[in-house]
Parts: sequence; structure tokens; C-alpha cells
Amino acid sequence: MSILKVKDLNKKFGKKEVLKSVSFEINEGDILAFIGPNGAGKTTTIKCILGLQRLTKGSITINGYDIKKNFVKAIEKTGCIVESPDVYMYLTGYENLKLQASLYANIKEESLTNIIRLVGLENRIYDKVSKYSLGMRQRLGIAISLVNNPNLLILDEPTNGLDPEGIKELRELLLKLSKRGMGILISSHNLSELESFCNKVCIISKGEIIEENSISKIKEIDENKYIIKVNDIKKIKKLLNSNDKIIDDNYIEVIKDEKEIAEFIKILVNNNIDIYEVKKEILTLEEAFMNRAGGKKID
Amino acid sequence: MIRLIKAELKKIFCKKSFYIVTILFIMYAILTNIISKEINVYDLNNERLDITEAENTNSNLDLNNPDDLLIYVANLTTIEIGKTDINSKTSNQLYLNHNYLYPVVEKLNESKYILKDEEKTKELEIEKNAIMAKISADDYKYFVNKNIEELKEKINTTTDKETKERLNIRLKLAEYRLKNNISFDSNNYLNNAIIDIETDLVEYRNLKVKKNLTIDERERLQNLDSMFLKNKYILEEQIDINNTSTVRYILSNFNSEFQIFILIYIVMICGSIVSEEFNKGTIKYLLTKPFKRRTILTSKLLTILILIPLIIFFMILIEIIIGGIMLGFDSLSIPVLVYNASECVLVKYSCFNYLFMSLVACAPIYIVLSILCFGLSTITTSTSAAITITFLFYLVSEVIKNLALIYNLSILKAFVSIHWDFSYLVNYHNNPFKFDPFHSLLIVLGYISVILCLTYLYFSKKDVKNI
Repeated sequence: MSILKVKDLNKKFGKKEVLKSVSFEINEGDILAFIGPNGAGKTTTIKCILGLQRLTKGSITINGYDIKKNFVKAIEKTGCIVESPDVYMYLTGYENLKLQASLYANIKEESLTNIIRLVGLENRIYDKVSKYSLGMRQRLGIAISLVNNPNLLILDEPTNGLDPEGIKELRELLLKLSKRGMGILISSHNLSELESFCNKVCIISKGEIIEENSISKIKEIDENKYIIKVNDIKKIKKLLNSNDKIIDDNYIEVIKDEKEIAEFIKILVNNNIDIYEVKKEILTLEEAFMNRAGGKKID
Repeated sequence: MIRLIKAELKKIFCKKSFYIVTILFIMYAILTNIISKEINVYDLNNERLDITEAENTNSNLDLNNPDDLLIYVANLTTIEIGKTDINSKTSNQLYLNHNYLYPVVEKLNESKYILKDEEKTKELEIEKNAIMAKISADDYKYFVNKNIEELKEKINTTTDKETKERLNIRLKLAEYRLKNNISFDSNNYLNNAIIDIETDLVEYRNLKVKKNLTIDERERLQNLDSMFLKNKYILEEQIDINNTSTVRYILSNFNSEFQIFILIYIVMICGSIVSEEFNKGTIKYLLTKPFKRRTILTSKLLTILILIPLIIFFMILIEIIIGGIMLGFDSLSIPVLVYNASECVLVKYSCFNYLFMSLVACAPIYIVLSILCFGLSTITTSTSAAITITFLFYLVSEVIKNLALIYNLSILKAFVSIHWDFSYLVNYHNNPFKFDPFHSLLIVLGYISVILCLTYLYFSKKDVKNI
């Protein structure tokens, strides 16, 4: 069942069009990796979904409710972190959590205790947030986003400030939540962390969705990475395209599908280049994305 | 909505700045009460004559010149009374020195240096010594009795009805003084009431019978009438309503004494209630809660409208506790008297009733400033801008109010500060700008509506950009 449906979303700031016909969908149990370079429109899309920015055109439906027509119902079962976990620094972690919980009806003390345990903040929850590290604030932000027991979780860069252990715990937590049927949208710079637990990916560049598909298909669609050992690297330079690169005097790295690699090897042979070794490697999500986004680096 | 208001109140009560301002207010209240205790308004009447100038002048005079001689004799009287003042121990003695000894010494010096009448001088010398003996014995009754005798004599010989009436009042006052054992002690409120009446009696009676009064004369008559009625009340009820060293006095002037702190609380709360959410990024959590934007903004507005009266109530409570401990709680039972000029009567309020009425009358000032600051906080999303502009607005408002009193410009009369203070109704004064209260109320409501409309419109359409 569809939890979030973004259809033909357009957003303009003055004359500048920052989102162009953005469409994607999240179903129950989906973990969607929302990826794109800086300024691509990830956060703007998230803000539009959450009603923080008005839509110029298009529609967004959460749990069957259009956010324009019935925002209160649409947002009721949504949890989020946008940009960074901005909380009240003069309150303790627990006070922050309780304050956010107090804005929903019937949230029990017990469920707050469970959430605190879930994000691993039991020992520091009664400390002032001003004493928290970024990682701890991130955990608190995640706790706040879970306070209303949402079925749609939107996390903008949630791994920022988390240590490897924290990232691992977050991954496990999100997998657990998705198994309960929660739909999760997660945007992050750290694509290698997403590919291990996201089942869908949505690639956005310059305000447009380039690709929306399952992770496995994204990797399959294109090609693989081939490491080729040759005798003369100078001769080969003119035969490489922008995504390919020279590793050292003997090794090059190219990204091609099966047909293309066969053709490429023929070309090398025809140019009297000796080939000693051709090794196939599986693309990471980041490499696949870079290939899709025309080699643009994600920072 | 209630959940949102509760959350807003929690946020405000958890801020350090709120407690810092509260501590400052408590310190300010303590200082106000100390000053009120130490500076007694009656002490001002307790001045001794300064003889230095008279001594300096006399040393440069030519006694052969008749004009200089007159000055010399007058200064000599001042010097003598001044020296007697130095030895006086009570304010009663000071008063008697100035009012009973002075004329005798003046006559004595005239007789001695100008008339050079030895016999008269001797007579006056004896009279002077007798008066001085009575003064040093603090025997004010001797002078009162003497005064009564003189007044009775004058009443019998006077034929003019108005003069007779005036003398009768003086006689009644003197008899009252004698009956109630009221000395000329300047710290005795009954004595001060009698003296106030006696001082302005002639002017008051003259203005009362005069026809076709000028505007200034009418105003003066109103002031005198108010003063006479209040002093009459003091003497009849024997209640000290003019004492400034009381918690009642501070409470009845609460708006002027503590207005600065009310304004500080207003700008501190209203200036940050929305802008801080934007500055700290917490607006993202708030706007993604299941509430409409207008509900969120209304909850903040209601929080302000609930909290500001509560804070004022808290300030009053603190003042009652501090003032009560330092100045005593007794004065709280003394009423506040207000002169109703149109009916020429005194209106009696209980202290708390008057305080409440004054605060209600000034409420439009606080409401307009709160809503302005709240609106600026929402529209500019800058706490400092909201606070600064609100304070500037308040200062400019005061200037415009004064300008409107001087210049009769219609453009100035459209400004809200000309209309937002209704305390003239509580004090039974005329509106200084001759406006109908209903008309003023409409203008205030108009300002509030415009600011709120702009604020709601802006907030409901505002995009939350990168924070």
C-alpha cells in the first residue's frame, strides 16, 4: 500500500525552478534512498512533503491524504528530521522528547522509555542538550521523529555525526521499522551506507528525478566496473571516455556493460595494445549513481 | 490548541532569560521600596532657614542709606530666626519659629533699627522671649488658643459674608487641632491637611465665587477643589491617604513605577516566541506536527495573552510581599480617592480595585505592544529586530503623544498612542485629546486587527528555507 506519493512536484523560488516534475512513491516497508548532489533539490522536496514549503505545482499524498487539502491528517503519522536535529538546547533530552510528545494525543511514558532505549540514549537523556555531541543530538532527533509512532519516516542526512557503531545501530533500527511496515525516506551523502539496507533508490539532479528504481536494478541497469591491465597506457588515453580512469602505468578502470566491454577489448587489440588481465568488479551504489549523474561527485 | 499552549508555556518557563529578568525585577522592587521608605514627602516641609546669603548681603550694606537699612533689618530677622532654627529640635518648633516668632522679631528689629522706639522695643523684646519660651516648651496649644481668640474677635467684627465664612473655616480648623491634639509637626498628616487647607483657602474661596473663569483658572479651581475634598476626608476619617511610604501608594502607581518591567517582559516573550523557532530551526518540528499553521500561531498568541496578565499579577504579588515586609501591610486597607471633576465629588476605590481598574485602562497599551512585537517576530523572524522596533515604537509613541498635545494636526490623531491609554476614565479626567472612548477603542482594535491580519497571512504562506 502506498504511504507517500509525490506526483509532478514543481517548486519555484521567484523565477528559479528548483524542482521539476518530481514524482516518486513509497510503499509500506520501503526504505527509499533519496540521493543527489548538493543543491539537487533533496531537502526542498522533503520540505514540500512535510508542508514546510508550499508547492508551486503537483500533489503530495501521505496515507491517502492530500497535504494541501488535509494537512493535519496527512502529517499525523509522519516522523521526520529535516537538515539537522534542531532541538531546544536549554532543555534536557528527555524534556525535548516529552515536549514533542505532548503535542500528540495519548503518548504514554512507557513508549518514550522504549524509544530512548531504541536510540541508545538511556545514560544521557536527562542531560542538557547543549552538552550533547552532534551524534547524540542526531539520536535524539531520531527519537523525536519516532515519538508519534509514525508509518512514514523522513530522515534528511540522519547519519551526520554518527559514529560507525551508531550508523550500524541506525541501520538495524530502520530495518526493524521497515519490517513493521513503516515507509522510510532517507537522504544521505554516505551512499555506501544506504545500499546495504535500502530497497529503493531515487536519484535527483538539478531538481529532476533521473532514476527511481530498486537498488538491485540500478546496479543491474548499467554496467560493471572492469579493471584492465595493459602494456602501453599512453596509447590508450585517447580511447577512454569521461567515466573511465587510469589507475597507474599498467591499470585502467572502465565502466561498461557486457557488449561495450567486448567492443572495447576489440578496439584495444586493433590498436596493438597488449591485454594481460581483465577483472570484473560489482559497482557500489555511489559508483552507479555517479555514472547516472554524469560523474558528478556527491559531497 | 491546549497542548500547544502548554508546550509554549513550558518553553518560556525553562528559559534562563525569564528568570534573569524576574530576579532583576525583584531587586528593582526592593530598591523602589527602600527609596519609598527613606524619602518621606513630608520631610520637604522640614527646612531650616538659610542665613548665609543674608549674612553676606548685610556685610556689604550702607546703613546710612534708608533702602539698605530696610534690607539690613529684614536680613537681620532672617538671621535671627535661622539661628533659632538651628537650636530647634522638632518640626513643630520650626513651624512656630517661622509663623509666630518671625513676625514678632521682624517688628522688634523695625522698632529697634528703623523706628528707634525704645519703649516698643522693650515690649516686643518681652513678647519675643515669651514666645521663645513657649516654643522651646513645644507648647503649640498656646499659639492655637491665641489664634482662636483672634479669629473669634475678627468674626465678630467682620461684616463681609465671604470673609466671615473663610474665618469660620479657619476657626473650625484651629478648634479641630486643639481637640485632637495636633501639633505643627510636619510628619503629622493631620497637621499637613490643616495647613494645606489654610494655605490655599483664600485663593480657593475667591475662585469659587468668581464668575467667567478662564481655562487656567478653571483648572486651578479643580485642583484646589480636589485638594480640599481630599484634606477634608483626611480630617474627617483621620486616614493618611497622602503617605508615599506605603505599599498602597506604590501599588496605586504601579503602572508608572513598574511599566518598564512590564515592557521588558512583553518584548522578551513576544519578540522571541516565533522568531526563535526559526533561528534555532525548531520551527521544522513545530510545523510538522498535526496542526494547521494558523492554530500554531494562535496558540502562541494566546500564550502571550494569558502569560502577560499572569506576569503582571506575579509582579503585583511580589510588590505586595516586598512592600508589605518593608513598609507594612496596614496601608492596603486605605482607599484611593479620585476627584471627579464633572460632579465635584471624590470617588473612593479600594486599593486593589483601583489597581485593577488602572491596569485594565492601560491594557490596550500592553496589548498593542505585545501584538506588534509578536507580529514583528513572525514577519522578520529576528528577535533583535522585533525587540528594537517595538521599543522604538513605544518611544516614538510618547513623542507623538506630546506633539499631538501641542499641535492640532489630524495626522497625529490617527496614531494609536493617542488612543491607547484609558486611565483618564478611571481617574475621572477629561480625555486630553477630547476623544470619545468608543472612538479610541475602535482605533486600537483597528491597529490590532491590521497587525494580526498581516502576521497570519505572512505566517501561513511562509516557506521554511534553509536554517
